[in-house]
Amino acid sequence: MDPDGFDDALGLSNEKPQNLGAYIYQPPKHAKASERPSKRRKVSSGANLDEKPDRQHFVPLLNGEENVESVQLRYDTYKQLWSKQETKIQNILESVDAGVLTDVLSFVRETSPQTCDGCIPTALVTVGSNVSSLSRLLSRLNGQLISAEEGSVVVLESGDAPNLKTTLKNIIRATVTNTDGNDGYQRFLTDRAGPRLLGYDLDLLHDYVQRKGTKKLVLALRDSEAFDPGLLTDLLSLFKSWLDRIPFTVLLGISTSVELFEGRLPRSCVSLLRGKHFEVQEAGNCVDRIYESLQTDPATEMWLGRNVTGTLFENTSDYFQTPEAFSRMVKYTYMSHFFANPLAVLFAKPTPTNLAQGRLPEAIRNLPSFRMFCEDLVEEGSIDQARNMLENDDYLIQQTVKALDAGQRIMRKLFQTVRTIHACLQYTQTGKKSSVSDLSVRALCGELYESSVVEEMLATTKALDSDKLYELLSDLHHIISTPEAEELLQNLEILLGSCSGPLRSGYNINSTVTKTTVVQQRIQLSKGRAELSEQDSQYTKIVDRLVALLQEHLTETLINPQDLFLHEAFLFDLRNPLKETFGPRPRFAIERALVTPFDYLLSSTDAATAKVSAKQPATAILYQLYLDSGAMVNVHDLWQAFLGVFESEEGKTCDDRVVMSLFYSALSELKAFGVVKNSRKKADHLAKCAWMGL
Amino acid sequence: MITMKRRLSDAGDQPKVSTPKRRRTALEQSNGTLNGNAPNNAPSNGDSELPPSQLDQSTPKKANGVSATPLQQSGLKTPTHKSKARGLFATPTKPKSATAATPSRVKNADRSARKKSARVLFEHDEDAAWDGSERLAEEILQGDEPEPENPDQTVAESVEPDDAAEKGEKQPKRRAGRPKGARNKRSPTPEGELPAHERYFFQNRAGPNKTSNATLNKVPLLTHEEYFEKLEHYKDPCREEKEYLLSLHHRSFPQWAFEFDEGFSICLFGYGSKRKLVDQFAEWIYNHCLSDSANSPIVIVNGYTPGISIRTIFATIVTAVMGESAPTKLGAQPTEVLELLQSVLQSRPEDQEPVTVLINSIDAPPLRRAANQALLARLAATPRIRVLVTADTPNFPVMWDISLRDQFNLVFHDCTTFLPFSAEADVVEEVHSLLGRKGRRVGGKDGVGFVLKSLPENARNLYRLLLTELITGLDDGHQSDDEAPVEGGRSEETGIEFRMLYQKATEEFVASSEMMFRTLLKEFHDHQMITSRMDASGMEILGVPLSRDEMEGVLEDLVLG
Repeated sequence: MDPDGFDDALGLSNEKPQNLGAYIYQPPKHAKASERPSKRRKVSSGANLDEKPDRQHFVPLLNGEENVESVQLRYDTYKQLWSKQETKIQNILESVDAGVLTDVLSFVRETSPQTCDGCIPTALVTVGSNVSSLSRLLSRLNGQLISAEEGSVVVLESGDAPNLKTTLKNIIRATVTNTDGNDGYQRFLTDRAGPRLLGYDLDLLHDYVQRKGTKKLVLALRDSEAFDPGLLTDLLSLFKSWLDRIPFTVLLGISTSVELFEGRLPRSCVSLLRGKHFEVQEAGNCVDRIYESLQTDPATEMWLGRNVTGTLFENTSDYFQTPEAFSRMVKYTYMSHFFANPLAVLFAKPTPTNLAQGRLPEAIRNLPSFRMFCEDLVEEGSIDQARNMLENDDYLIQQTVKALDAGQRIMRKLFQTVRTIHACLQYTQTGKKSSVSDLSVRALCGELYESSVVEEMLATTKALDSDKLYELLSDLHHIISTPEAEELLQNLEILLGSCSGPLRSGYNINSTVTKTTVVQQRIQLSKGRAELSEQDSQYTKIVDRLVALLQEHLTETLINPQDLFLHEAFLFDLRNPLKETFGPRPRFAIERALVTPFDYLLSSTDAATAKVSAKQPATAILYQLYLDSGAMVNVHDLWQAFLGVFESEEGKTCDDRVVMSLFYSALSELKAFGVVKNSRKKADHLAKCAWMGL
Repeated sequence: MITMKRRLSDAGDQPKVSTPKRRRTALEQSNGTLNGNAPNNAPSNGDSELPPSQLDQSTPKKANGVSATPLQQSGLKTPTHKSKARGLFATPTKPKSATAATPSRVKNADRSARKKSARVLFEHDEDAAWDGSERLAEEILQGDEPEPENPDQTVAESVEPDDAAEKGEKQPKRRAGRPKGARNKRSPTPEGELPAHERYFFQNRAGPNKTSNATLNKVPLLTHEEYFEKLEHYKDPCREEKEYLLSLHHRSFPQWAFEFDEGFSICLFGYGSKRKLVDQFAEWIYNHCLSDSANSPIVIVNGYTPGISIRTIFATIVTAVMGESAPTKLGAQPTEVLELLQSVLQSRPEDQEPVTVLINSIDAPPLRRAANQALLARLAATPRIRVLVTADTPNFPVMWDISLRDQFNLVFHDCTTFLPFSAEADVVEEVHSLLGRKGRRVGGKDGVGFVLKSLPENARNLYRLLLTELITGLDDGHQSDDEAPVEGGRSEETGIEFRMLYQKATEEFVASSEMMFRTLLKEFHDHQMITSRMDASGMEILGVPLSRDEMEGVLEDLVLG
């Protein structure tokens, strides 16, 4: 073993940056010294103007044989597509907050100590699981107050408030820097007449308020529950006494409930406050809206598959994810798709000749969906076309571009239909409403048409009375705009115009009559159609036509997206990058590495058996021995077993002191992982603290 | 199957959970032929379908052991923790058996010492072995003619069996021919594959300690020097594989850079030190991504450094960003420094590359506190700062609640490297503290020598005196005691009495007054070069936290130097 490498492995190399706490990275002088300057020279000579294109964000795919333009195209398309989606998401978030924002803003503007009988005006905002919404709300509130020159918002977190002095100092500094910046704060401290005040003197704030003419100073506590109640009491009573000079308004972010929060404060403190309660919408709603707009928007070009959707919603519901986190996960799917899928270049609609070069055609031919497509072609009898697809690159690319377009159209229709069904369900479904996301997941599996939801929906539609049906139809009218639907609507309008009161179709339960006849002392029940009036039967016809229309529409559009040619390009449905990157299982990873180290270390030897052997890393050996032990481990015995593993394989050649040093390093690692701790029950014993798989 | 029926008729609605062995024992009891010394009684009726091998297996111990349970239920105290152990495993006992515990049985139960001993024997499992009562009980039983069991005890007999318990007890039940003192029979490894929770309960059974009493006293522990010296001789069999693994991670660098660009922070986890990988990533960024390295610095933080503070981290970043123009006084609170940093970053031109902060071992003890993590999360949330963190422990995600997770905005990558945590952990120190051998380290021999060099002549003389006394003490002890006290663990126990050392010191003109003597000692104490403890008679005993070899080494240096 070369000494250099060993020093490296041990971290013993001469200059020891690893012993420093924090340092600025300097590239090593040796080794690549020759390579680096040339690179840097190129950059400096290329002038700072066109650096951006110089740097490749994406890596060439297809074994590195993808051409440069395609790589760049993928990146550009990603930027373009995502920025569109992002604006949509932003709009949704803003519209969700808008209601609360205006409420809070008007509260802040209208209340003053006078209107509150001398108490501190307080806005209590319950955010529930939607944690991030409060910071959005506060920053927008801050922006509005500053732009109107009315005042500002100071956000305080529990971490900023270890004690009263620091808290006050932080408040004052944050207030000043919020408008004047850091330099402004320094100047503010020094450029004063009279004796210099300490950083936590509220006189400073008073001064500032007077200078600025601030009318409202909103002090927002982001996580009110995490503040020390004693500190909060002191702080509030202090504010109260300064209320005649500094126009405080307190905003409390509460994630449990107002009652619980109030319960924690002493009554004297609560009596200082007078306020109003605001509620922020739950995250779930918001996420549903985001998802709906991402998927069903007619301009969407790429869709999230069912696995991705499943993972997204699982995370949201299981971990109280914020809408931001949700949209970031969606962003990550977009990123992965464009980063790693060479087909993504098709979105850029490049010239076919450009694509035909390189290996893209080959890649397309390797798609499972291409294979299915060709098989279908052969079955249909268009053998020539299939042959062309297989042999002619240019033809293939042309067809592919067309197929992409067609596929996207179909997907759009699919999601329109999902929206249709969702709209219908608003009329037909009582009780728990299915959300768009639920329906989407089913649609993406290709199971929506056969699902009970749709069946029920059709059945209920038949039984709707004319008023409701009219509403439904006029709603659908916006989504399905076929001439047939128009005609139906007109017919219904005419019919409704000619009669008064709601009409019932023949399928309505009220239209069935149960007859009771007594035959030979037995009661016979027979069901029969009640006589329908002329108008009712006409109405029934309309209903029949509508249902038929719907059914036709559904069968046509609700296909399984996985059957489409080129679905790999426009439907992202890989569970993995998303699940692993956002829901890591570090404990599992470490346990796996230690129990079966050759999962990671692709060994050339055949040591990859399940048995403990000296070929494995020391920690892995020790961990496996540890797994076999009971709740208490005798270190001596553990050491003997560890030594035994080495002795049995290396025989006399093994130096037990070397093995001992391995034992040491392994044991210290296990300790660092929190798997063992010292046991006080017996000398030289360890207590086991973790059980694998639990 | 006749036996089964018969049992059923006896036991009413008892579930038939017992093993064939048990069936046999039930039979024996009902036959009234129970005999402690004759396990191979010929079956008298109807169970000829039982294979002989099974008959051989069944022992009377077993039978009686089972029958003892109802006695216990009827309020009799057993000498073991058995009830507790059962509590973990046993199926809930039926009220049926409670009714079976008739007063007559209670009388039967404490009728004689022999009977009690029988119970002890029958219950014989790992617990019985431990209090030694079993041997006695056996003697009593063997000297006597066993009497038939009360028939209604068989009723309750079928209640107790339990698979898991039985599995564990199988081994100890083979009592015959067990060597004396071989107590540790119960294997901690369950037979076969158990699901994780079962394994947990199995390994956490109540009962006495089943580990051996061997200690490390006879195994010489490693010193720092030896540890590093020996580790050098180790040839890593997986070296190539580890390098290949690292090269696989290298391929992700462009992906990570892309994630950085899109505003994500990165978290690397998995087994092994990721410091090297982070270093390489820093180099890669430096060469491939940065156009202007002076204005977009890379800051590397080693979270495992003892005594690192968030403020230093922030201050380093500030100096990295501002260079010469950084203010000399940054403020004592980390938040102040952070806010300064944020305002500086805000005032930078738009097109400048962001600052990259790479944090090694963010879950290391110095940074683990919630307050620290909150501050780091705020750093990560700052625009134009890109953060990559690595985490080594298995449960690091619990450091972050949702709002912190939100601020961090992390994507996670499994970067198992299998590299040793050489810089991250002080291995020898960690192990010794784990073994409860703390204070052995004062920086070892070199550390002590170093401190001594900086001390005045007097102090050095005193230390020399102390060492000489200790070593002579050790030598004396060595002669009188067979067990060599030279080994690591023992040297701590030898020491010299405070008064005696003082006396010697005055004799040698090292210290003229007790005051001065104490001042000198305090200096040693501050550097953890001596240990002091009270012995049983209340005398203060002074020692040195060094092994004998080290003491000799230091002494040698002192005398020669």
